[in-house]
Amino acid sequence: MVKAELTKKSPLRILEKATHGGLGKGNIAVIASKRGIGKTACLVHIATDKLMRDKHVIHVSYSSRTDHIINWYEDIFKEISLKRELEDAMEVHDELIKNRVIMNFNQDGVSMDQVLNSVKAMIENGQKSTDAIVIDGYDFSKDCTDNMTRVKKFAKELNLEIWFTDSYEGEVVSEGDIPSNLKCCEEFLSIIMVLKNDGEVMNLNLVKDHDNKISEDLSLILDSKTLLIARKS
Amino acid sequence: MAKDIATMRNIGISAHIDSGKTTLTERILFFCNRIHAIHEVRGKDGVGATMDSMELEKERGITIASAATNVQWGNIDINIIDTPGHVDFTIEVERALRVLDGAILVLCSVAGVQSQSITVDRQLKRYNVPRVAFINKCDRTGANPYRVAEQLREKLNLNSVMMQVPIGLEEKHIGVVDLITMKAIYFDANDDHGVRYDSIPSELESEVAEKREIMLDALSMFNEELMELMMEEQEIPEQLIHDAVRKGTLDLELCPVFVGSAYKNKGVQPLLDAVEAYLPCPTDIENKALDLDNNEEEVILESVNDKPPVALAFKLEDGQYGQLTYIRVYQGLVKKGSELYNIRSKKKFKVGRLVRMHSNNMEDITEAGSGDIVALFGIECASGDTFVQNGLNLSMTSMYVPEPVISLSIEPKDKSSSDKMAKALNRFTKEDPTFRTYVDDESNQTIVQGMGELHLEVYIERMKREYDAEVMTGAPQVAYREAISQKVDFNYTHKKQTGGSGQYARIAGFMEPNEESDYEFVSQIKGGAIPTEYIPSCDKGFQAALGKGSLVGHPIVGIKMTINDGQYHAVDSSDQAFQTAGRAAFREAYMKAKPIILEPIMRVSVEGPTEFQGNIFGSINQRRGIIIGSTDEGNNCTVEADVPLSEMFGYSTVLRSSTQGKAEFTMEFAKYSKVPTSISEELIKEFEEKNKKK
Repeated sequence: MVKAELTKKSPLRILEKATHGGLGKGNIAVIASKRGIGKTACLVHIATDKLMRDKHVIHVSYSSRTDHIINWYEDIFKEISLKRELEDAMEVHDELIKNRVIMNFNQDGVSMDQVLNSVKAMIENGQKSTDAIVIDGYDFSKDCTDNMTRVKKFAKELNLEIWFTDSYEGEVVSEGDIPSNLKCCEEFLSIIMVLKNDGEVMNLNLVKDHDNKISEDLSLILDSKTLLIARKS
Repeated sequence: MAKDIATMRNIGISAHIDSGKTTLTERILFFCNRIHAIHEVRGKDGVGATMDSMELEKERGITIASAATNVQWGNIDINIIDTPGHVDFTIEVERALRVLDGAILVLCSVAGVQSQSITVDRQLKRYNVPRVAFINKCDRTGANPYRVAEQLREKLNLNSVMMQVPIGLEEKHIGVVDLITMKAIYFDANDDHGVRYDSIPSELESEVAEKREIMLDALSMFNEELMELMMEEQEIPEQLIHDAVRKGTLDLELCPVFVGSAYKNKGVQPLLDAVEAYLPCPTDIENKALDLDNNEEEVILESVNDKPPVALAFKLEDGQYGQLTYIRVYQGLVKKGSELYNIRSKKKFKVGRLVRMHSNNMEDITEAGSGDIVALFGIECASGDTFVQNGLNLSMTSMYVPEPVISLSIEPKDKSSSDKMAKALNRFTKEDPTFRTYVDDESNQTIVQGMGELHLEVYIERMKREYDAEVMTGAPQVAYREAISQKVDFNYTHKKQTGGSGQYARIAGFMEPNEESDYEFVSQIKGGAIPTEYIPSCDKGFQAALGKGSLVGHPIVGIKMTINDGQYHAVDSSDQAFQTAGRAAFREAYMKAKPIILEPIMRVSVEGPTEFQGNIFGSINQRRGIIIGSTDEGNNCTVEADVPLSEMFGYSTVLRSSTQGKAEFTMEFAKYSKVPTSISEELIKEFEEKNKKK
């Protein structure tokens, strides 16, 4: 399969359709789940899908080492290319790397301002054509209203899609509901998805879609073996 | 007798140039030896006391420069390892840092954290070296140790905690208050600046109480008992505080700060006590070797004497005593007269003289235990070699030596420099396997090769400084490679019949890209189309063509040659004829196989203040670089990128000027990649023009 065909058949097109054309530039999306369920995998899959469509992505993380994140991308890419028998996989891979930058902030209490400044410096001095930022591991339980105001402004200003992951603990989020730590900044979020463990399967549910009413189930899951987002079988 | 491992300290003293590193080292030697000397001369009517201290230092001046000096402080044995003055990231610096277990970071109380302090601290962090800080020169005008301690926090991101309060600053600096024992320490007990304890001067009492509170607060993180006692506002035993400082320091989560003035003999002895109390002994540190039988898998070495010995030669020295090899023993005992095995050269050798270098003499010893640093006499080796007991197949350093990626022609400025240059080159190639040299047949020039511009610059500089050899250098050349991008068939006939015996050979087969190795030869000849004795001739012919590619004259890599047909002539065929046919067939096929040029790509890591990160990103982008990632750590950021080597020339200057000299970079070879078409066209044109001129 060639690259273009592969992305056309990606299950992520379902998400785009369900969310009326996708996130759109200047907007923020969040994937929420409990710890250790697979948010990072979802995020990396979404980022990889963008890279495969020749978009430029900056991955922001708060972990200790960048090579862990690189490994995530390598694994996800390998799964996708194997599953779909991607042609010229090595060449496609080398192209993707050129359009991806990982920015890591491993200091305790780094402020959102600092992160946005660094990202801005990166965009202005090299990654001018950046389309999307994915941010993994941000803690929504701290001053999120203030910070999200800034992020929203930043997304609009630089014309970017911004994807977050959110981790909630000790809370049972009922069907169709928004995790409580996101409620304070809900107004800034255009799309919210919750990844939930329902027995054997991990369902990816859409709980906020711009200003639209959510009519139907996404029918997307996170495959626990490949860690890819997939159609519910 | 091998020493007790727990009483050993292997430390380095790291500092910015003018912070007083030399003075402090001298004072340490002085005070350590004094104690030694007083024990020895006791009763002999003050022989030691009347000697002029300056003279002693002069005498010792020479030994300060040695790679490792052994001194005694009380019951503790300290090996002071010289960390090379040049701060560049070379194998030599790396080795010196490797053999350290701990370090004293010296700072000037006036200038504070300077650019080089940042660099040395970064290196210590890279090798996870626990450290204590010493804020020197508290007697200078403008001294402010508190501000420096704060800078340690802000600029180096160290959890710095003052362990002492200075008594008086600038010219009034006369001593320190120890916040653990809560005693004032003066250095006037005798003419040798001995330590005198006293009660805390009343005017300092409130300040001392406040600083002690801050110290205990910081330390409570490392000891629960201490935290409980603090909460209950109870008396805290001294040992508990020492334990907490030691734990924090060893975990690299604390940097205890000491103050004083080495020049005025203030604060040196308490600093040595701190080395004893807080810096690790060899068993506190985990050292790893690579198992060569198991794909260079890491194995943990045990700092015990009853295991087979493993030692690393970290420095060679041509001193007044002849050729010395400094080694650090990581495991087991190295005994005089025993046999060791050099992993790199695969040779056995006998340990002849084994010595320990003291500040003022050399001591012959019979064995050196695990963790110790000693020197061997007259051993044929290179620095970086691993010595083990025969039968072990462990190496302290990776056996993988990358091919050099850059070359430079050098020429001595005058005749006297010529000999010195040769001597220096001989030495450097022994020290550093990635540094090579040869004489080019065509130009008759001496060529040096290495892993980057900076790498070569350092050696050119060292030639001048250490060997007094002035050389002129040519423009650096990138080591390009050529390769093919598709499979092609060939069928070539070599025929020559002009008088005398003729030449005849025909070979056919195919050439294809090969990812496994640089060159592979396969013969599928059946039925004797080419006689067996001429098959190696074809191989030889192909290999002869590999050395210089037709595009830009650089070596060809990644080729697989298969022959499957041919023809010979009973009289006219010969080894020579098949070799010629091989060479010509290769050249012909090569041009059809869409040859490409490969260039070395470097993994570049730039570190600098966050305020300049935009400039750093920009500078990489302008150089065809691909930014892999960046890491923000407080005020500092590290940017990792893959950049073609050819674009890195002069980068240090550009980086310096665009970041006010506050950023630095390191690079190492990562891989070979295809040169973009526009650039490869230029290279080919350049090569053709050069050929025309000949």
